[in-house]
Amino acid sequence: MTDVVATNETILVVGGGVSGMTTALEAAEAGKQVILIEKRSYVGGRITQLYKYFPKLCFPTCGLEINQRRTKMNPNITVLTMAEVSSLSGDEGNYTATVKISPRYVNANCTACGACGDAVETEFDDEHNYGLSKHKGAYLPHRMSYPERYVIDPAMIGTADAEKAKEACKYGAIDLDMQEETVELKVGAVVYATGWRPYDANKIQPYGYDRYKNVITSVEFERMNDPMGPTGGKILRPSDGKEAKDVAFIQCAGSRDRNHLKHCSRICCMASLKQTTYVSDANAKSTIYYIDIRAIDRFEDFYRKVQNDENVSFIKSKVANITEDTDGNPVLHGVDTEGYNRYDTSHELVVLAIGMEPSLDVSALPEGISVNEHGYIENDGSNGGIFAAGCSSDALDVNRAVQSATACALKAIQVVNRVARSEG
Amino acid sequence: MADELLMGAYICKGCGIGDRLDCSQLESTATRDGKAKYAKSHDFLCSAEGVAMIQADIDAGETNHVIIGACSRRAKVEAFGFKDVSVARANLREGVIWVRPDNDEANETTQEMADDYMRMACAESKFQKVPQRSGEQELNKNILVVGGGITGMTAAIEAADAGYPAVLVEKSAQLGGVMGQLHRRIATKMPYTDPEDTTVADLIAKIEAASNITVHLNSTVTKTAGAPGRFDVDISTESGATTNVSIGAIVQASGMKQFDANKLTEFAYDKSDNVITQLELEALAKEANGGPIKRKDGKEVQSVVFVQCAGQRSEKEGHLSYCSGFCCAASIKQAMYFKDSNPGVDTVIMYDDLRTPGAGGEDFYRSGQKKGIIFTKSSVSTIEASGNELSVNFMDKILNEEQSMPADLVVLATGQEPNSGPNPYALDEAKKAAEDAGEEMPTEVAVSVDSILNLSYRQGTDLPHLKHGFTDSHFICFPYETRRTGIYSAGPVRRPMDSQQAAIDATGAAMKAIQEVENAAKGAAAHPRSGDLSFPTFRDEGCTQCKRCTVECPFGAIDEDEKGYPKYNESRCRRCGTCMGACPVRVISFENYSVDSVGQQIKNVDMPDEFDEKPRILVLACENDAYPALDMAAQNKLEYSAFTRVVPIRCLGSVNTIWLTDALNSGYDGIILMGCQKGDDYQCHFVKGSEIAHMRMSKIADTLKTLNLEEERVATYEVAITDVERTAQLINDMAETIEKIGMSPFKF
Amino acid sequence: MSDINNQMVDKYRNNFLKEVEANVEEGDWVKMCMQCGVCSGSCPMGPYWDHPPQELFMMIRAGKREEVLSSSSMWMCTSCYNCIARCPRELPITHIMHGLAHYAKRLGIAPKEQPTLKFSQKFWDNLMVNGRVNELKLGIALYFIDGFAQGVKNALAAAGLGLGMYKAKRLNPFEILGGHSIKDKSGFQAMIKKAQEIEEARISGNAK
Repeated sequence: MTDVVATNETILVVGGGVSGMTTALEAAEAGKQVILIEKRSYVGGRITQLYKYFPKLCFPTCGLEINQRRTKMNPNITVLTMAEVSSLSGDEGNYTATVKISPRYVNANCTACGACGDAVETEFDDEHNYGLSKHKGAYLPHRMSYPERYVIDPAMIGTADAEKAKEACKYGAIDLDMQEETVELKVGAVVYATGWRPYDANKIQPYGYDRYKNVITSVEFERMNDPMGPTGGKILRPSDGKEAKDVAFIQCAGSRDRNHLKHCSRICCMASLKQTTYVSDANAKSTIYYIDIRAIDRFEDFYRKVQNDENVSFIKSKVANITEDTDGNPVLHGVDTEGYNRYDTSHELVVLAIGMEPSLDVSALPEGISVNEHGYIENDGSNGGIFAAGCSSDALDVNRAVQSATACALKAIQVVNRVARSEG
Repeated sequence: MADELLMGAYICKGCGIGDRLDCSQLESTATRDGKAKYAKSHDFLCSAEGVAMIQADIDAGETNHVIIGACSRRAKVEAFGFKDVSVARANLREGVIWVRPDNDEANETTQEMADDYMRMACAESKFQKVPQRSGEQELNKNILVVGGGITGMTAAIEAADAGYPAVLVEKSAQLGGVMGQLHRRIATKMPYTDPEDTTVADLIAKIEAASNITVHLNSTVTKTAGAPGRFDVDISTESGATTNVSIGAIVQASGMKQFDANKLTEFAYDKSDNVITQLELEALAKEANGGPIKRKDGKEVQSVVFVQCAGQRSEKEGHLSYCSGFCCAASIKQAMYFKDSNPGVDTVIMYDDLRTPGAGGEDFYRSGQKKGIIFTKSSVSTIEASGNELSVNFMDKILNEEQSMPADLVVLATGQEPNSGPNPYALDEAKKAAEDAGEEMPTEVAVSVDSILNLSYRQGTDLPHLKHGFTDSHFICFPYETRRTGIYSAGPVRRPMDSQQAAIDATGAAMKAIQEVENAAKGAAAHPRSGDLSFPTFRDEGCTQCKRCTVECPFGAIDEDEKGYPKYNESRCRRCGTCMGACPVRVISFENYSVDSVGQQIKNVDMPDEFDEKPRILVLACENDAYPALDMAAQNKLEYSAFTRVVPIRCLGSVNTIWLTDALNSGYDGIILMGCQKGDDYQCHFVKGSEIAHMRMSKIADTLKTLNLEEERVATYEVAITDVERTAQLINDMAETIEKIGMSPFKF
Repeated sequence: MSDINNQMVDKYRNNFLKEVEANVEEGDWVKMCMQCGVCSGSCPMGPYWDHPPQELFMMIRAGKREEVLSSSSMWMCTSCYNCIARCPRELPITHIMHGLAHYAKRLGIAPKEQPTLKFSQKFWDNLMVNGRVNELKLGIALYFIDGFAQGVKNALAAAGLGLGMYKAKRLNPFEILGGHSIKDKSGFQAMIKKAQEIEEARISGNAK
């Protein structure tokens, strides 16, 4: 049974990615009680699936290590993983959140020794690698996972392998009978930091993501370039496993488009520029097909660096459609709008700079919360003690998401401080 | 009782430790060599039972210095988080059994490795005290906000709303800043179609209504002394009248100024009244107040051209190389001023990339197009002015031809520059740049701006600049980390941004200021060693006033007193230990991290004699990136030399050369220092620590020569947290090097 | 006709975009284009256009009246709607193309030898006679559109096709004598005449 202490001076943070962790930490380090709810079995969210950040080309795990350390050392934060808020009701200073906790089948005794993982054989799709690889049925999601505790894939429950895992554990950490739990929490303020998910590329019919193996999304490409990812850091064509020496990036795939997402997803220009550095490191060539390059404010320096890279060319054109030649090379058709030049260019690999959709479950929000047409919660002061941080509020990059999350921590603190004043 | 040293050692046999190691031998190593009072083993130390056992011993007064030989100090932190006692961790799992092969041949050296780590943990424990708060600060909830524009006003309001009184200082006669000069602002919420109220009047009203915000107009900060929790600030008016306030933390929101358009001679700004900046257009729009906008000579504007990126995104001398982030949307807004009053006015925006990102950005762009604003991807080469006629010459990039367009008015989107105070490191940086370029060293740097904070810090009056004159720290994950603890910059002085982001930034900075106020009262450090109560003390008797600590502190935490001794300020300190590493006479130490707490670890390693063919490699690994990388190497079952002894340190900057000298004198054959990336894209969590260490280590070659040792014995590397394979490789490389050059002659 | 052209030039001097917005079907959408080029890339007739739709929109904004209206590009549009389906800004490109073509013809400055233009005129003239298309006469008109000699060649080349159609009862040689007509032909023609008057008035009204 999960025992959580929560009062209406507690702040509930929904979502444990970089935004949620930041809101939780900043508030906790100012002395407030915080409960951090995370759907996955580990915190960190989507940044753990990035290889490098733009523009410094530094590693997300660096900041994550510090944040995880701060979390471990702070008794004011309670982290609940495998947890989702299934409903929320109430008013500022007085909310009730119903939290559904899915079973991990591994309890607090786990020392992450790895014996269960060694003992089992069945494998399942690894979501951490966007399904591009598999993990064992008893696994640690990534090397730096926090909580540092193994997970049993629910699909393995009831099989012989599950029993093997249980037997291998010397510490009684595997509980195959663990059940789903529901916990009700009383809290004073709520910060949504549920982040984003990539737009479904299958819906962009002309680009053939569903038909051509060598058309992939930017998030999949990112995993491919991570030495800890599914291809060991090599840029390999899904069709034949050969190294791709000529990569095309299609910007605004699914964004700025009334057929898909009307908004601009902000990060994709910089993400593609960053990914061209991966391609250059592999001595391969990149071509970016764009409408506007949004390397905004100080990112301009990075854009200039990439423009100076001889391996990268830029074509101002939204690709009209993609076909495939007999070698499995995607062929891009379109018009270069600077001057008027038609092209039918084949590339070895095509990366769709896929748009960003908010991951908000609107049905679990209380009535009256203003969610705008693009799916984001607007922090316009009309949502009482509910605030949106990071990509729940706008299409943001990590730096701005953290900025937004820090601000939300203060907004939440204002609410609980009012509660404290009225009760003290 | 609290002072008595009662070391209790606990060894966990779980996770294979008990299978691979002789734990009873580890116990005797702890008591006999480590001088622990007693040593116990347990099958599953992190279990509730195991933890209870240790807690019972603590409660019974058996131990107040707990030594745990088990997994890495990064694992099971909550389980082993015993309060009010010191806890030392010997890394027997990730540090020993996971990096060594499980076979008979390796057993002996594996056991020796584990024994050494137990000795090291005991030695460390002996020199660790539970840190007590400094007591230098009490709770001081006052937040000083410097700058009364939208950023400053928002910071003051948000802080005050949370119960922290704000003191708002504004240089001019009224609040509002640049925002106050605008007619309207860019759309900030659904449906993102029209310019909105600037909110300045609203904010001013809120400030006036708030009982806990004090406003000082026509004023500047003329002195900031002290430290977070006890800032002693003078606020003076132009006439010299001074108010003194006691402040907990500071938000600097000194805002932006426009780039000087006079530099754009090709755009005829200086020649024609009809070529204006965005701010000048705002003035005209305010005057028109919804009616037709007239230019200076009174003519109603019938055609206006907006030139984007004027003097920005350019490598030309005197131009700004960055993008200001707001001007595309601002020009659309301004074009809307014309269209909303008279759709018949021709408005053309000439841009290179149209930057309207985010959820609402595209909506605003579409709305502009709907209103009839024309967008053309062109690059403007010159603007000719003859009399009242203007002609804009540009290269149309879509139609690929040179063109010319007449206009009644041209608005240059010149972007923003930060109102930062003078950079305290300007001279250092100029010297370094001169050195790199092989030029003559400058002896001084011209200071062209007034100080904003007037800090009485030894290291300078204002916040350091990093890129392009902005004060941002450049940590992607930690945007508010400044190099002057307790002083947070916000808004366009920190980085280029639009007003909506500035308001969010202000709220974030206010959050950090409030957090610092609470932590300063407790004597707790800010990020990255959040919550750390330990702080360095200085033994003046031994101090030679060399000033290395005061100069090298990345955060300017140390001033000098009248006699020249370091005057330390606890709440300005981030606990990195760079001062400790700098001190040549070793008078600086923390209660739980000192020259001894590390030095004794090094010295208590059992040193085999030269005939045993068992070298010793010391690895000083920064706890932020290098140590986690080594842990992960172990998780991946990578192997490295059995002769390695890893000591985690707070920052490479805290490495005192005495540790290296002692290690070499004791017979270590190789020393590796692993720290975070330095330089322009630095990752070092203490900004300068890694860089300073590399600089110090570059001088170590001389020391080695005098000791008649090979240079290769000491290596310093920049390591990233993902260098999992590389860190193991670097250790193995050192082992190979030692095999080549032979063992250290300093062994007995 | 060229009278109207001169009037438009005078009225919309230097502002071709405004002229297009006022006179071309869906012309007020031209300003919404963000120059992404998807339409140009999607058009199956693309390689045959001098200026693809996206470039035409830019040219309109840049005031290139002569080049746009006398271009044969928009006449290439086959109404496949590929562009409209993909346009991220939701421009009704197909309709704008037809609108531009129609407007150019109205002003009398569309390229005279443009085959689609000529055929469209033939189609219209044919239709106006009886209110029903006389397929035989239209076919013959199409064959002879480039002159008598070419017409004979075209007709001979299509002889097999013609015979096949006749056998399948898709071609009635007796149409040459007049073909079918709708009921109330005079009413129809009066209606068309009235519509033309209204349209002329609208356009010349716009020209003032």
